[in-house]
Amino acid sequence: MSAKPSQFRFVSSNRRVREDRRFVAGHGRYVADVVVEGMLHVALVPSRYPAARIISIDGAAALAMPGVHYVLTGEELAGGVDQLMNGLETPNVKRYPLAVGHTRYAGEWIAAVVADTRALAEDAAEKVRVEYEVLPYLTKAEEALDPSSPPVHPAHGSNVLLDKQFVWGEVDKHFAESPRHLSFRVTWGRNSTVPIETFGVTASWDPWREMLDVWASIQMPKYSDQISRALRIPTNSVRVHQDVDVGGSYGVKRGIKHTVLVSYLSRRLNRPVRLLEDRLENMRSGDAHGPERIFDVDIAFNDEGIVKSMKMRALDNAGAYAGRAPFQLGKPIGAIVGPYKIESVAYRAQSVTTNKAVQEAVRGFGQSPTNYAIETAINKVAQACGLDPVEVRRRNFIRKEEFPYLIPSGTHYDSGDYHTVADKVMAHVDYDALKAERDRLRASGMLAGIGIAACLEPSGGNSSFEPLLNEKNTTTTWMDSARINVDGPGFVTVTIHTTSSGQGHETLAATVVAEVLQIDPDRIRVVRPDTLASLPSNSPVGSRMAIMLGGACFHAAEKLKAKFIKIGAHQLGVAPEDATYDTGAVIDVAGGKRIEWADLVNLAHRQFHLLPPDTEPGLEVTHVMQVPTGTKLPENGRVQMYPCHSFEFHCVLVALDPDIGKPEIRRYVIGHDCGTVINPHIVKGMTLGGIAHGIGATLLEEFVYDDEGQMLTQSFMDYLLPSSHEVPEVEIVHHVTPSPFTVFGQKGSGESGYLGAPAAVSGAINDAVADLGITFDKLPIRIYAISDAVAAARAKLNQEKQSA
Amino acid sequence: MKLDIAGSETIQTDVESLWTALNDPAVLTRCIPGCKAMTETGPDAYKVDMQLRVAAVGGSFEGEIALSDKQPPRTCHISVSGAGSLGHGNGSAKFEIIPQEAGGCLLAYEGVGEVGGLVAGVGQRILGSVSKHLIGRFFTALRKEFETGQALGAAE
Repeated sequence: MSAKPSQFRFVSSNRRVREDRRFVAGHGRYVADVVVEGMLHVALVPSRYPAARIISIDGAAALAMPGVHYVLTGEELAGGVDQLMNGLETPNVKRYPLAVGHTRYAGEWIAAVVADTRALAEDAAEKVRVEYEVLPYLTKAEEALDPSSPPVHPAHGSNVLLDKQFVWGEVDKHFAESPRHLSFRVTWGRNSTVPIETFGVTASWDPWREMLDVWASIQMPKYSDQISRALRIPTNSVRVHQDVDVGGSYGVKRGIKHTVLVSYLSRRLNRPVRLLEDRLENMRSGDAHGPERIFDVDIAFNDEGIVKSMKMRALDNAGAYAGRAPFQLGKPIGAIVGPYKIESVAYRAQSVTTNKAVQEAVRGFGQSPTNYAIETAINKVAQACGLDPVEVRRRNFIRKEEFPYLIPSGTHYDSGDYHTVADKVMAHVDYDALKAERDRLRASGMLAGIGIAACLEPSGGNSSFEPLLNEKNTTTTWMDSARINVDGPGFVTVTIHTTSSGQGHETLAATVVAEVLQIDPDRIRVVRPDTLASLPSNSPVGSRMAIMLGGACFHAAEKLKAKFIKIGAHQLGVAPEDATYDTGAVIDVAGGKRIEWADLVNLAHRQFHLLPPDTEPGLEVTHVMQVPTGTKLPENGRVQMYPCHSFEFHCVLVALDPDIGKPEIRRYVIGHDCGTVINPHIVKGMTLGGIAHGIGATLLEEFVYDDEGQMLTQSFMDYLLPSSHEVPEVEIVHHVTPSPFTVFGQKGSGESGYLGAPAAVSGAINDAVADLGITFDKLPIRIYAISDAVAAARAKLNQEKQSA
Repeated sequence: MKLDIAGSETIQTDVESLWTALNDPAVLTRCIPGCKAMTETGPDAYKVDMQLRVAAVGGSFEGEIALSDKQPPRTCHISVSGAGSLGHGNGSAKFEIIPQEAGGCLLAYEGVGEVGGLVAGVGQRILGSVSKHLIGRFFTALRKEFETGQALGAAE
């Protein structure tokens, strides 16, 4: 099914992203722009303590204020809705939108105040009096493993949500055979994606229709299923409007607790109800935090730097509820050996509860932390063997002729040419010159280092990690769909069945359908029906839409093309096999006669008597697409995770003043191979943004809690984001290795850049300070940490020099 | 986050007068920055209402103050807890009044506080200097009490 790039008309071509016009011109329509008549507004009462029993909630003073309609407590809410979905078998880790009886993190919502305006609701929320009995708490993952630690959910019995050991291959034998071993620990700090638009949702219950209308800034699979389940109403009584632009997400716009809360309130009060998080609510209690993970890694290798086996233990701090955190330990299993031929792996995935905000999905679903751990291992092997870090990677890379390549944990990598991408980057950057530049900087008194990272982006999002981590889950599909309708006058409308948060799905759908139908993409309208009119979609998660929505559009367009050929061939009096489709017309190959688009449409819409037998009138096609390669449940702890694997190779030069400690990225080159590119602007934007995001995770961003369980970084004064000062110009080196599993050979790119930047930038800093005998093994690597460690190391070296 | 508070200030008055002033809700209401009202709820226990404004941030607090381990007229423990729109905090401190040879008394204090919520989340970097500033305002007001003779008057 794959085709050579030169055969494409629109795919890979330099075409504008159609959504850009409305965003640039200020015509985006976000959830805050949706104003429903009679709408009320919600503000939340946050928990003061990381753990406490709620003795009483007194909303009388708030309710007495004019314009205040309601004060909702967790106790009332829990009586009216079911607990939020939890994909694990942990029935006693119950979660509701508001704390019920106990509060489990500072900032957790204790009560919701509903008023005529948000400002009024905020003022009234201050008047709600909550009496607490403070309880013991914990914030650190390692404390949570201690059976005597205070349980976040006493009914669950411990703080362990998940503890699963996998052994793929002969790990013990390989370790015993390998002449060299090394062990280390690295820590990934709790950070996230922090979109400019916080989460927002408006729900409106119509008692006459018995219908709940929802407008939300959402990016989540099975959103309306979850709403209906929690509210105990049929899913066909929930209508989520998907024609709402989402102002940034990369995983964190999950908002189910917000939605259940306002939906309940709307039914309770018979009024539309809106909740728009402010920045503080978003940062401390908006379910916006990402992985926080400790890796303990053991590597077995030989003197040539060939890695034979790896043991990895990942301990993840999930926060107060299960959320999606445990599954973010599962997805990286699909690329647990990175781009390397590591023969066996032991992997222990542990997820624990603590009294921190809940962890949700973040770009890569746990892959970037795992890549950081794998790449740190490869750097350490290079150092131990005295080899160049690029050379060590070359020696361990899977070779292009070995694809599809089966990794120990059960996934076949689709395709790749890692050596060529690395070579192209090395040639582009002139590696010898770059090393000379690093040495020149060092000679001038600076600290300077080069960072290399070679990482995979598993893409095409399947949910195989769910049955892998939870045997009771037997899901083997994670489909997506497209519908195409050609109307009577001949215009083409494509429907897609999810929201978008900047991925350019309208451009994607139009490009793919235009490619197949060989018509101008600008003639194609792309719309998003509400969920009641939608086909199945699992939303843009898991770097999947180029593959899944692109694939669904392709197959639907192929069905449409076949119908055109059938109708046209019948009219031309030839068999369908003897006719061909060309730029909207059907041609009798032998006779050369053509029948044009307008006539074909006319036949389908008006002249049933001229249609071939058993042909439905009209020109409407749908396709529901299964994830390529997703055919089986896990067996023996092995499963095909995602179908496609994009590759990125980073090369970074960092320089820093030893006294100040502020890393400056002097050169950033990335080699990127996501197979066939459908729209180059979208892929470039993803990659540049992903690198900026990765720089933030490496150097700046962290949700910090103090020892009292209070969150210290609730605003952008303290939660630092990379700006134009920190993000350098990035040079992208392109390469295309088509995937054999997708319609055009495309792979995913929604997580590109982010998956390798933390490994590359931290590697460069560690190279810069290696001669001082120090390493940084915890992200983010803050400026003060660098300057303090460098000062201490230099003082020690001076002392040694003096005493010698 | 935790805050350590310690220091000492000289007040130009005698030990007895200072002790009396520090146990007088009327004096404390005037001296505690932002204190609107202080109501006795039991022996050595008070409810306080505060309206506080520091730089661009302002808000109202409700709190409780309790005195314990009193050894008149020299030392006393004070514990404070409060909560409001800006967050919440609690702390306890020991006061000691030491007569000075040169005249006047030294009021030494040492304690530890804990704050959370918005104050900790957005104001942690300035919290140390804010607490120093507020303590400074308390002593400025307290000195003024003795300069104008109000405290003595109240004590009599």
